[in-house]
Amino acid sequence: MRALLFVIALLAPSLALAANNVTLSSAVFLEKTIADSSGHARIVLEEPQSVTPGDQLVFILNYRNAGNAPASDFIVTNPLPATVAYSGSRDSAQVSIDGGRSWGTLPALKVREADGRWRSAMPEDVTHVRWAFKNTIAAGAHGKLSFRGVVR
Amino acid sequence: MTNIYKHLAIASGTMVGILGVTPALAAGTTAGSTITNTATVNYQVGGVAQTAINASNNITVDRRITLTVAEVGSATTSVAPGASAQVTTFTVTNTSNDTLDLGLTVAQLAGGTAAHGGTDNFDLTGLGAFVDTNGNGSYDAGTDLAATFLDEVAADASRTVFLVGAIPIARVNGDVAGVTLTAQARAGGGAGSQGAVIAETVGANTAGMDTVFADAAGPVAGDAARDGKASDDDDYTVSAPTLTVTKQSRVVSDPINGSTNPKLIPGAIVEYCIVVANAAGGASATSVAISDPLPAQTTFVASSSFLNGTYTGTAPTGTCNLDGASGGSVTAGTLNGTLGTIAAGTTRTLYFQVTIN
Repeated sequence: MRALLFVIALLAPSLALAANNVTLSSAVFLEKTIADSSGHARIVLEEPQSVTPGDQLVFILNYRNAGNAPASDFIVTNPLPATVAYSGSRDSAQVSIDGGRSWGTLPALKVREADGRWRSAMPEDVTHVRWAFKNTIAAGAHGKLSFRGVVR
Repeated sequence: MTNIYKHLAIASGTMVGILGVTPALAAGTTAGSTITNTATVNYQVGGVAQTAINASNNITVDRRITLTVAEVGSATTSVAPGASAQVTTFTVTNTSNDTLDLGLTVAQLAGGTAAHGGTDNFDLTGLGAFVDTNGNGSYDAGTDLAATFLDEVAADASRTVFLVGAIPIARVNGDVAGVTLTAQARAGGGAGSQGAVIAETVGANTAGMDTVFADAAGPVAGDAARDGKASDDDDYTVSAPTLTVTKQSRVVSDPINGSTNPKLIPGAIVEYCIVVANAAGGASATSVAISDPLPAQTTFVASSSFLNGTYTGTAPTGTCNLDGASGGSVTAGTLNGTLGTIAAGTTRTLYFQVTIN
C-alpha cells in the first residue's frame, strides 16, 4: 500500500500538470522584393500567393506557454520539407544534416562526399532546424522563432 | 547534450518524410505539390516530459513555365545550291516544374539580319520541323518524323528539333536564308495529342495550382518575356563556286613560217586554252566537265589535249601553262574533258591543238 501511494504521489504532478500546455503555431510567408512608389527596392513579406521554385520563404513559429507552470527543456524542432532548402535563421538555431541524429552550427558540421573527402556542410544540406532553450519558459511567456528557406 | 535531449532529437527525427515529393533538378519542385512544414515542441514540466506539440501549415507549389530554344552550334549551315534536306538543329528544353506539350512554329525571315550576321535574301523550300525520334542528335530522313509539337516533355527534359528544307538551285555564293523556331507551352497530360495553349493565371492566387510565366524574351519577333514562348534563330549560307570560263587561242606554227611569226593559213597549228577560274571565297567546284565542239574547218591534233593545267595572269590576257596531264577525247567532233576539283581562288585549264584545214 505504501508502494502504491508512492506511485500515486509520483504520478500526481504530471496528472496535475495535464492542464499545462504549450501552444505552437506555424506560418509561412513569401519574401518578395518590390519596387516602391519612388522606385527603390523594398523587401516585403507577404502571404504566399504564387509560390514557384526559387522563391524565398520565411517560416515563423509562435510558441506560448499557455499553462500555469514553467516549461523546461523546451525544444522546438522543425524538419525541413523535402522541397525546401534551408537558408539560415537569425535566431540561434541548431541544425542537423543527418535527419536529426546530430546537431550543431552549420560551420561545425561536415559532409562526406562520394569520393571520401569531407567538406563543410552547406545550407542546402540541412534536414532539421531546432531551438533548444536553456532557460525555462515561464507560464504565460511566448516568443517567435523564424528561419528562411528556398523552394527547391 | 543530455540523454533526454538525444532521445527527443531522435523522436523528432522520425517526423521527416511527411512529403513524398521528389524535388526535380533545375525545374524545381513539381507544380501542384504541397509543401508541408511541421514544427514540434518537446518540453518538460516539473521534470516530466510532456506530450509533444505539433504545428504545421501547407502551401501549394504553382506552375512556373520556362522553356528555352537554342540553336545547336554557333555557325551557319553551309549549303550548296539545289541541295535537298539541309538541316539546322535546335534543342528545346522544358525548364518548367511541370510536364508540357511544346507547340513548334517554324518561320523564315523576310529580309533583315539573320542569326549569324548575314542579310536574309532567300527562303528554303519545304522547310519543316522534325523531331529527333531516335535521339541520336543528327537528322535521319525517314526515321526522324515531322512534328508540329513535342509531346509530353517532362520537367528538365529536352528534345532535339531539326529544321529541314531544300535550297533553290538558282541561289549563288553568299546568299543567306534565316530561319526561326518558336516553342510555346501547352498543357501536357494527353500523350499523342497536343494540349491547349497554357495561359498565365491572372488576378489573385488561388488555392490550387496557378501558372506563372517566367520565360525570357527570344530573338524571334513575337516572343516577348513572360509569354510562355521561347525561340531561337539560325541560318543557311549558300557556299557555291563562282566559275568563269574563258577561251583563248594562239597560232603555234604554219607550214611556211614555222614557229616564227606564224600565220593562220591552212595547215597552221592553233592552240586553244579553255580557262576555268573559280573566284575566291566560294566553294570548290568538283567534276567540272568541259565539252568543246571543234570548228568544222579544223582537225584535232591527236593526243594534244591536256587537263588541269595552270594559268598565269588573268584570262584572256594571261598565259596558259603547258603543265597539265594528258586527257580528254574527241567524240563526233566534240572535245570532252573533265577537270578535277577547282578550289576557290584557283584556275585550271584544258589545252589542245588543232590544224586548220
